[in-house]
Amino acid sequence: MSSSLRMASGILGRATRNLASIEATPSHRILPALRNTSQPQCRAYTQAQRPQYTHNVQCAFAARNNFSTTAFRARAKTMGQLRQRNSTGPFSWKAALLFVLTGAGMMIYFRVEKARLERKRIAEMSKGVGRPKVGGPFVLKDLDGKEFTEEDLKGKYSFVYFGFTHCPDICPDELDKMAEIIDKVREATKDDKLFLPVFITCDPARDTPEVLREYLKEFHPGIVGLTGTYEQVKNVCRQYRVYFSTPKDVKAGEDYLVDHSIYFYLMDPDNDFVECIGRQDTPESASKVILEHINDWKREGKPLKVE
Amino acid sequence: MGWLPWSSGDSSKASDGGRIAPDRTSRARCWEGRDAFFACLDRNDILDGIKDDKEARRKCAKEVVEFEAACSATWVKYFKEKRVMEYNRDKTIERIKKEDAETVKELKSQGWKSN
Repeated sequence: MSSSLRMASGILGRATRNLASIEATPSHRILPALRNTSQPQCRAYTQAQRPQYTHNVQCAFAARNNFSTTAFRARAKTMGQLRQRNSTGPFSWKAALLFVLTGAGMMIYFRVEKARLERKRIAEMSKGVGRPKVGGPFVLKDLDGKEFTEEDLKGKYSFVYFGFTHCPDICPDELDKMAEIIDKVREATKDDKLFLPVFITCDPARDTPEVLREYLKEFHPGIVGLTGTYEQVKNVCRQYRVYFSTPKDVKAGEDYLVDHSIYFYLMDPDNDFVECIGRQDTPESASKVILEHINDWKREGKPLKVE
Repeated sequence: MGWLPWSSGDSSKASDGGRIAPDRTSRARCWEGRDAFFACLDRNDILDGIKDDKEARRKCAKEVVEFEAACSATWVKYFKEKRVMEYNRDKTIERIKKEDAETVKELKSQGWKSN
């Protein structure tokens, strides 16, 4: 075994000496190095009784693939290598590239993390004790007449909007925006169940399930319409801090408008308030904010209920 | 006054007792009527369609009839009020901007540098 090793290094050494004199050959930097590195590196192969010939070839590759360039730079044997080292000092384009890439990578990482922590801070502001809370328990009914409570919002990101069907101009604009946001978010998450858009009427006297269904259908079929009794609606508006001015006793056929806040409320799967989307937001900016929160939630591995 | 030109009297009722709101097409028609009426008011230098109701009706007779036919009475009132409110809002913003610019000019003349 040791004799075959000696023979191998002998052959290699001879070949190297011949080649090392030709400085212009591209391999001149590798072959001298082989003389030093091949022996210990190839021991594994020789011990495995590899045929001598292939063993040489494999070692050549092994040395070539060895990326610890500094190791054999330190043992520079030829004038060419020394000259190159002296001209550049300890710096090389590889080191520079590594430096720049690491720096850029760190910068990007810190920016992303900073933005994420900022969002997390906003999201967690509404959690915990002693904070003003938006949202809370309510009982309403959906358009099929089934009971719908805050429990039905849990496990999903819900997007709550208050309005009424006789709204002159703001609600229709906002609902068109809502439809665009729904499509954008669902397309990006590739999930129809994760994002739940909800429309709660502030005007239950006129907005019965049938009216709501026809109305919402014109905007987006995915919007869940909710209505209830006057007291139930008043309660949910209070929970969400929505200004509620619906007249209580309306004469039949009387026409009136309802003042209400015009914000969308983004609620996380724990049903805690996350963010407001207002008139100034475009569908693009709104869906970006929503997707960022959804992705943060997913990345933290928190539970989602997607049945 | 009805919701729509062809439906006079009370607004239409849904079978479960709700009151059907204008749909997308009737909303669009209402907004068109509103825009035409407000364009006419602009041409005649009328701001408030409620306060100057008589003059508005005289000068924009055709527009006001079309507007009121296409929208419910509450919407007509809402849009007229909104027009005045928005005008005043824009005026206020303009005034504040002008005042700001004048303050800066005055300060600069006294040797203050903005940066």
